[in-house]
Amino acid sequence: MDFELTPEEKAFQKEIREFLDKECNEHVVAEVLSMLGEGPYSKELLLKMGARRLLAPRWPVEYGGRAMGAMAEAIKVDEINTHHAPFPLDGVEIGNSLLIVGNEEQKKRFLPGIARGEIEFALGYSEPNAGSDVASVQLRAVEDGDHFILNGQKIYNTEAHFSDYHWLLTRSDPNAVKKHRGLTLFMVDLKSPGITIRPLITMAGLRTNEVFYEDVKVPKANMVGEKNGGWAVLMSALYGSAGGGGPATSTKRVIENLVKYVLEEKQDADKNQWIPEAMADLYIRTHVGELMGLRATALADLKVSPPYGGGGAASRLLGGDTRRLLYNIAMQILGPYGQLAKDSKWAPLNGEILREYMDAPRWTIVHGSQEIQKLNIATRGLGLPRK
Amino acid sequence: MDPRLSEEQEILQKSARDFLTDKCPKSLVREMEKDEKGYSPQLWREVADLGWMGLAFPEKYSGSGMSFLDLSVLLEEMGRVCFPGPFFSTVILGGLPIMDVGSDEQKQKYLPQIASGKAIFTLALTESSGRYEASSIKARATADKNAYVINGTKLFVPDANVADYILCVARTDEKSKGEEGLTIFIVDTKSPGISTTVLKTIARDKQCEVIFKQVKVPKENILGKLNQGWGEVQKIIERAAIAKCCEMVGGMQVVLDMTVAYVKERVQFDVPIGVFQAIQHHCVNMLVDVEGSRAAAYEAAWRVSTGRPYSSEAAITKAWVSDAYYRVVTLGTQAHGGVAIIEDHDMPLYYRRAKAAELAFGDARFHRKTVARKLGFAAE
Repeated sequence: MDFELTPEEKAFQKEIREFLDKECNEHVVAEVLSMLGEGPYSKELLLKMGARRLLAPRWPVEYGGRAMGAMAEAIKVDEINTHHAPFPLDGVEIGNSLLIVGNEEQKKRFLPGIARGEIEFALGYSEPNAGSDVASVQLRAVEDGDHFILNGQKIYNTEAHFSDYHWLLTRSDPNAVKKHRGLTLFMVDLKSPGITIRPLITMAGLRTNEVFYEDVKVPKANMVGEKNGGWAVLMSALYGSAGGGGPATSTKRVIENLVKYVLEEKQDADKNQWIPEAMADLYIRTHVGELMGLRATALADLKVSPPYGGGGAASRLLGGDTRRLLYNIAMQILGPYGQLAKDSKWAPLNGEILREYMDAPRWTIVHGSQEIQKLNIATRGLGLPRK
Repeated sequence: MDPRLSEEQEILQKSARDFLTDKCPKSLVREMEKDEKGYSPQLWREVADLGWMGLAFPEKYSGSGMSFLDLSVLLEEMGRVCFPGPFFSTVILGGLPIMDVGSDEQKQKYLPQIASGKAIFTLALTESSGRYEASSIKARATADKNAYVINGTKLFVPDANVADYILCVARTDEKSKGEEGLTIFIVDTKSPGISTTVLKTIARDKQCEVIFKQVKVPKENILGKLNQGWGEVQKIIERAAIAKCCEMVGGMQVVLDMTVAYVKERVQFDVPIGVFQAIQHHCVNMLVDVEGSRAAAYEAAWRVSTGRPYSSEAAITKAWVSDAYYRVVTLGTQAHGGVAIIEDHDMPLYYRRAKAAELAFGDARFHRKTVARKLGFAAE
């Protein structure tokens, strides 16, 4: 039994940390924290990270990766979060899927570009009537010679307005007896005629998008996997990422900064009453969640089937709850000052806590809501019966 | 990183599980709750013959030379079956401190006795405040030629009713109030002046009041350094907290498994109740608690085993697992419904032990205070 990162993993962590310490400057951070999408400084940093092969450490070297494990991926995500660097989640997740289900031509066409930060993808799953029930998507794909014609609408496609390609889940067979057997996955060039992108702003100020497809043509060469085989592609994207979590440096940093704020700036007696225990509780939850996540990721890298179908989901549940709790406690610590927007007179900590508090509910909803995760853990992990 | 048990640990786990399944049925557990001694001498001898007491002692002291982590694997198995008796007290509260700070003579004298099952040990620390803080220790040990004379009352001393030796923490510097001036004494319970009363506890685990009245202890029985005992006491509490968490993980796992099995079988409204989302969510929440506890407890035990600092992790782990075990037995009972609140059901055995374990060596609130201090908040 051993809970240390390997020397290679430690070296990778050191490399990416030092790189981001140096390169993730205030312009990048300002763009990322604006939550409006990808600005020019962020793109520049993404390309620099790509040139250093920091974006897709799990991929084979020939595709721009470092042939490392899920732990390296988890380390990467943690360092990006800690530094407020741009977070190209979707491209790499999609690439993981392409590695499993893409054909050779597609792998060569896309993977190196994704790994270099040159090609960016937006996920295209959700629709107004298809969120958790993703198999219900209705965006229609009709075969027509050497291409397909696409019509319909997607929603909450957050990276769509600055991405190059759309990883699009479509309905290719509306008459399929089981709805998930009538789906096809396409990679669509977002510059294609017929695509309209409309912004939607969350209560946190994050820009996401509705994406409308009107008679958009996509070549067959951009179909991933089989026609009507989209469900398997989706599963490879969701579960191909494996692992469960990694170092929680970013969250621990937030807690430590909050403690510093309380000790150095807060004047009232709360600092000796409820705050110490509340902060300790947050730190404990974070630490336990971190160990759970590391454990799941380590087992994934050892190719050991973890108990309960993957402790990663369990650690994500804990992480989601902890995040919500953290920012609510943080708001309570700030008292009435917590409600002040960043550009208001008297706003503490650059309005960071307010921003994160408003953004917190998103994390337990997107990429698999907590309820769906619990359903999966219960039925797949614990073997409890379905209706 | 590899969180798995080693091959030897898997063998130890399997053999322990087989042995305990056979030799420690719930009927024995219930019998021992009522029993005056609280343990079966027959089973105690068998456990000693298996080498479990001396598992983590060096071979030259009749031990097996294995690690604290290996011991933790054993403790989890014991937690699974609600193993009754003074194993934890003897090994964790007696043996490990002697191994840690005992003189060669003390190790030679006591460790083989523990390993062979001949000597039962425990630790007398808390007093009327019930707290694990140095300032609450008022028991006095006054120098008297080649001995010390101990006076004071200790509470919640586990297994004092059957212990051959008690590690008693007393104040040797009459001017001291806090962490200075405390000494650990190895007290032979055959000494005159000791009166022990078994307290009736939630887990019926033979926690005792021990009154020391003019109890004479030879100077050679000081464990560690005179007036500087608190440092080791702190380590004893931290190690015991981690060890207790490993034991708790065993109990929590059984409660989870028991509950999942039940909700698959129990039919109401023509379906197994495991179909209902409320029940599913209870089970998943229990899983998060069990998995989190397992991850934290074993990482902490690994730290102890590999000579890494473990003070923060002891506090974090005990804080988490204390509350987690409570949540697990509460949700487990809830999912079972009426059957599990009847004392004859297995659940109450775990429900009661969960609370006792939560309280032992500092509960969640106590350890959160420690974590708060480590984050930088001032001590109270």
